[in-house]
Amino acid sequence: MRLLARLRGWEGLLLVLLVAIVAMNVTRSPYYLGVENIVNLFQLEIEKIIVALTMTLLIINGEIDLSVASIMGLAACVMAWLFRHGAPMPWALLGGLAAGGAAGAFNGFWVAYVGLPSLAVTLAGLIGYRGVARILVEDRSYGGYPAWFDAIGQQPQLGPVTVSIAVFAVLFAIVAVILHDSGFGRIVYVMGNNLQAARYSGVRIKPAKLSLFVASGLNAALAGLLYAARLGSVRGDLAQGFELDIITIVLLGGVSIFGGSGNLVGVGLSILVILNLRNGMGLADITGNTQTSVIGALLILSVLIPNIAQTVRSNWKGRET
Amino acid sequence: MTGPTDPIFELRNIAKRFGATQALEDVSIALHAGEVHALLGENGAGKSTLIKIMTGIHRPDRGQIRLAGRDIVIGSAAEAQRHGIAAIYQEPLLFPDLNVAENIFISHQDRGLLTGWGQMFRRADSILAALGVELDVRSPARGLTLAAQQSVEIAKAISLNVRVLIMDEPTASLSAHEVAQLFKLVRDLRDRGVAILFVSHRLEEVFEIADKVTVFRDGRLISTRPRAEATPQRAIADMVGREMGLLQPRPGAKRGERILAVRGLGRGGVFQGVEFDIHRGEVLGFAGLVGAGRTDVGLALFGIEPATEGSIAVDGEEVSLRSPRQAMARGIAYLSEDRRQLGLSLPMSIAANITLPVLARYLNRLGLIRAEMERATAETYRKRLAIRASSVEVLVAKLSGGNQQKVMLSKWLNTHPRLLILDEPTRGIDVGAKAEVHAMIRELAEEGIAILLISSDLPEVLAMSDRVLVMREGRQVAILDRDSADQETVMTAAMGQEAAAHAPAEAPA
Repeated sequence: MRLLARLRGWEGLLLVLLVAIVAMNVTRSPYYLGVENIVNLFQLEIEKIIVALTMTLLIINGEIDLSVASIMGLAACVMAWLFRHGAPMPWALLGGLAAGGAAGAFNGFWVAYVGLPSLAVTLAGLIGYRGVARILVEDRSYGGYPAWFDAIGQQPQLGPVTVSIAVFAVLFAIVAVILHDSGFGRIVYVMGNNLQAARYSGVRIKPAKLSLFVASGLNAALAGLLYAARLGSVRGDLAQGFELDIITIVLLGGVSIFGGSGNLVGVGLSILVILNLRNGMGLADITGNTQTSVIGALLILSVLIPNIAQTVRSNWKGRET
Repeated sequence: MTGPTDPIFELRNIAKRFGATQALEDVSIALHAGEVHALLGENGAGKSTLIKIMTGIHRPDRGQIRLAGRDIVIGSAAEAQRHGIAAIYQEPLLFPDLNVAENIFISHQDRGLLTGWGQMFRRADSILAALGVELDVRSPARGLTLAAQQSVEIAKAISLNVRVLIMDEPTASLSAHEVAQLFKLVRDLRDRGVAILFVSHRLEEVFEIADKVTVFRDGRLISTRPRAEATPQRAIADMVGREMGLLQPRPGAKRGERILAVRGLGRGGVFQGVEFDIHRGEVLGFAGLVGAGRTDVGLALFGIEPATEGSIAVDGEEVSLRSPRQAMARGIAYLSEDRRQLGLSLPMSIAANITLPVLARYLNRLGLIRAEMERATAETYRKRLAIRASSVEVLVAKLSGGNQQKVMLSKWLNTHPRLLILDEPTRGIDVGAKAEVHAMIRELAEEGIAILLISSDLPEVLAMSDRVLVMREGRQVAILDRDSADQETVMTAAMGQEAAAHAPAEAPA
């Protein structure tokens, strides 16, 4: 019942779009729906869609984190630096995660406790964390990690599925439960659609916001490390520019940039639409730049259509009274 | 042609409706050149709507507007200016980074491409000199005192060859000395033949400056009297003469033990010296004009804007209330006056709104919401308060104002408060829902909940309260027992009329 109701609005449109794209792709390639192709499909953008999960929480909460791609780079570079200086690989990985958590906490402190806008704070983070990452590895590329690490990123470990895809699936389930069934998720929504009402209801706003930014930082670090495993080497510009793709996924999923609305079903569909669209355009020999333009156009539509619907509806109401 | 006795600006049979509210009903008012016409009325009496119609912000639904004997239509604020109708407000609307002269001539920017600075400074100087105001026209408006900013606003009006000047509570933020300066300017304008509409809550000022006094109540014009026939007492009687209507006075409560004792409570510059006790089962009304500081006392007791002086004791124990959670832990709940901005999460369900302040009660060990339990609670309140909705899953945005108000009331009752602060609980809801809220207040008081009722609806405060605390301009001016509280005593206290009644009728020189 509830699922059906959700599918009616924006999610319904995404679903139609998805079916159309998949149908077109299937006619082009008979192997399209094969397991191998589906795994490849996810694998190409897997780090972005992992980060999109915590980005969804933040944007619904009325905030944003522009520093995620820099945190991905920072975590990978901290890991590379530690490993090169003799730390065992597990410790180097933990160090990378900790750096991500610390960066998230730093963002969250300024937003939640000082009250600065997250757009400005995380823009500073985007520049600052990337700077630290570049300082750590300078202009070199560091590889030579243990074979098991490279294997995590490069070969299926769980039947046909890679570790990254499994991580994504587990996180998707966790975020879905948090967002739609937990008390914390309820608070995330309330703060996003009426922060003052939350405050006047005694909601603990500051710790909630801080924990969201820490989660975003940790998750970005995790994605950055998975990306390093997939690439097999780390450079200072790892994941540079990913933040816009990540935010695009979330907004295309029907999450309002103003906060307070959206759900994970929409974001899940948006992920599938983007993956299949890119793959399909690849099959049709459409260049990367054109692919980006098409996705940009979709994003504009996703912002425009709800607004147009709103305007039409309120004009209609205006005429009644 | 207009003779000396014909009005320069006249509104005839004006009516204006906003949704369900009749803001103005058949109002006729005439302003004469060289006359200060004061406009009085409680909050919501229709003064602001009238001003907005005069300045072209709203169009009337019915009625005529006549300027110098000719029918006119005022389609926009710019048209009002072209007709020589200008308004100045409590907070001057200057551009802080432009200089004084630019602010004075800001409405002339469409008259030519280039700015003739020399000429502009000279003209600004001469206007200010004629007003007897000493200001450097080249200095930016930022940093001017409020009184100086008002002078600039007046100079701006003069630069537009104003014939009708509307002053909407221009003295509310001014000191006594600044008021005297402003009044000098007002008299000066009057003597030059400008018609002035002067809106103020301060009766002593009205009777100092006005040549005529008009009183509005509930969107109607009740009386217009020349100064010689008007008295503060008559004006107040006209303002409050509202029917008690169907409001049944609550039977007086037996006082239970004291729940809250407030002593010398204040917050820097906002309110001060508030002292009262409130007992189990008692309804303490808070009366006063908008901006008198009543809501600020409520916010201090709920920990939103904590008090900076004085003490609050709950059950005899002194407490510090610095956050809503601390206040809630002491059994205090606050129903906000602004349900859309501060009270409710409109895109969420009735159930989610009701459980929000005590959500922790509805979580299992994993932190997940126990949906059944939540729904059961919400159902209980839906029945008890007769919230009209098909289920508790309905989004609050889809409910009427009255039903939204009931959701908000449910939300706070569900915190099981011992002291419930109700801030304008019946504002903007229909008569039926209002009666239901009143019945609820009675029921809650009988159950032993102490209620602090902040309301601008005077009959409501009087009918519901055991005692009425009156505030004016951030200070507590009276606590009246229900036997001694009637509309006129309360309004007299709220407007600070004891002082004015003793003052000489003529303005001190």
